[in-house]
Amino acid sequence: MSTRRPVAATLAVAGYVIMIVPILFVVATSFTGGSTLRFPPEGLSLRWFDAAVHHTPFITAMVSSLQLAALATVLALLLGIPATLAIHRGRLPGKGLVEGLFLSPLIVPELVVGLALFQQLMIGLRLDNFTVLLIGHTVLMLPYAVRVTGASLALADPFVEEAARGLGASPLRAFFTVTLPLLRPGIFSAALLSFVTSFNNVPLSLLLQSRDFRTLPVTMLDYVQQSYDPMVAATSTIILAGTVLVAVVAERTVGFARIFGGINR
Amino acid sequence: MISRRTGLLVLPGLALLLAGFLVPSAAMLLAPPGVSPADILARLGQMLTDPYDLAIIWRTVRLGLIVTLICLVLGFPIAYLLARSTSRWSGVLLALAIFPLLLSNVVRTFGWLVVLGSNGAIGQLLLALGLVDQAPQLLYTELAIVLGLTQLFLPLAIISCYSAVAQVDPGLDDAARGLGASRTRTFWGIVAPLSAPGIVVAATLVFAGSATAYTTPYLLGGSSQRMLSTQLFSYSSVSIDWAAASATALIMTVLVFVVSGLSSLAARRGRTS
Repeated sequence: MSTRRPVAATLAVAGYVIMIVPILFVVATSFTGGSTLRFPPEGLSLRWFDAAVHHTPFITAMVSSLQLAALATVLALLLGIPATLAIHRGRLPGKGLVEGLFLSPLIVPELVVGLALFQQLMIGLRLDNFTVLLIGHTVLMLPYAVRVTGASLALADPFVEEAARGLGASPLRAFFTVTLPLLRPGIFSAALLSFVTSFNNVPLSLLLQSRDFRTLPVTMLDYVQQSYDPMVAATSTIILAGTVLVAVVAERTVGFARIFGGINR
Repeated sequence: MISRRTGLLVLPGLALLLAGFLVPSAAMLLAPPGVSPADILARLGQMLTDPYDLAIIWRTVRLGLIVTLICLVLGFPIAYLLARSTSRWSGVLLALAIFPLLLSNVVRTFGWLVVLGSNGAIGQLLLALGLVDQAPQLLYTELAIVLGLTQLFLPLAIISCYSAVAQVDPGLDDAARGLGASRTRTFWGIVAPLSAPGIVVAATLVFAGSATAYTTPYLLGGSSQRMLSTQLFSYSSVSIDWAAASATALIMTVLVFVVSGLSSLAARRGRTS
């Protein structure tokens, strides 16, 4: 294919280089034996991995980020799935408007939402920053929960539920035994996307930090600004390994393209 | 399941959206603590006339447009080749294009520090080849921001274009070619117009993302190449100037809303014509 379309092939190669090569350089420098961020790396060692896993601020922040991402994902699904059911199956006035509201956090710049929550909830209402981060991340994940599970719900046949109801199942039983299993792939995709998005988030979390609770990406950004050593490269390589693992799980279960296909339609 | 009570299930989520998003956002944009809407308007007017602020707004819009253009020029061919390829490698290449979306922006952007930094790969290569006496300043330039943003948003452009191209029947290409059209003519006459809606979606996503991104201008632009996002951060955490922060937030929000509005208008027009 590449020989017959030289222009397209050249552009495509350039695109892949820009997407992938910087990541490879991060991995290469993380194994350096030297003490500065330079390329080519000086010698080969695991010293910066050792430094990274013993750097308490990173470890604490990693745990915080994992907790926040898990909680926000669960909360967004607990609020989002019932809302999706209401939008698709219930009698609801102004359905289009309601669905639009649930998707609206995707349109407003995250940094702007972060500022609003910082100023109004953290400073104004004096809520602690973990609560505000959890609110913000849940709000940001709601569109994923509503859109991705909505896509599976639209494919699920409502008559199957009605058949269950006609056979005497209560609405709750019909939901848990018939509807929920149909939604499982959608829910799984939404959970995976939400978790990863929340874990990686910078713009929303940026202003919502405190000494007691900091997220990993923001802690790494601060560190890069202060010192130019390869410890962040080692931490990045660890994050990359974790992300590859998540991607493999995603591919084996629901399929990569399906997860992201749901987001763009 | 079709009952009035099912509709009530929307309420908890709606309550969170109101209390945790809509009300705080409106309050911040219109009436921050100790600031009147008139103050914000005055600050907005100042920003839209002051050369320093205008330069930042213009840089944000300009780099957003450049990155959008680059992402389409590089992303569409990738989407096209992947959608039309029958090779078993195309699945791997598609996964490789999507994977970066899962990876932290900080990690991806950090890579450019290693590539572009004064001790970085490009500088050292040029020195080693004897082409320069001193490593060129690549970091903290607009070029660095453009490269970083392109890396971040190219996967989004590829996915949007891919789902558009995949819907265009390859039989149409063959028909046009069979009727004697050149490869180039087939592309511009058939594939491009039919996948236009996906291209519009891609452009909107990339522009909105790159005009509001924070990590890239912060790490790769530094203090010399400010954009609206880095400016907003310093107004709200370094200098704590609520009027300026709200005015900047308003400009960013309006910018994104206008572009999304224009793109849905274009999509509607495309459907009716």
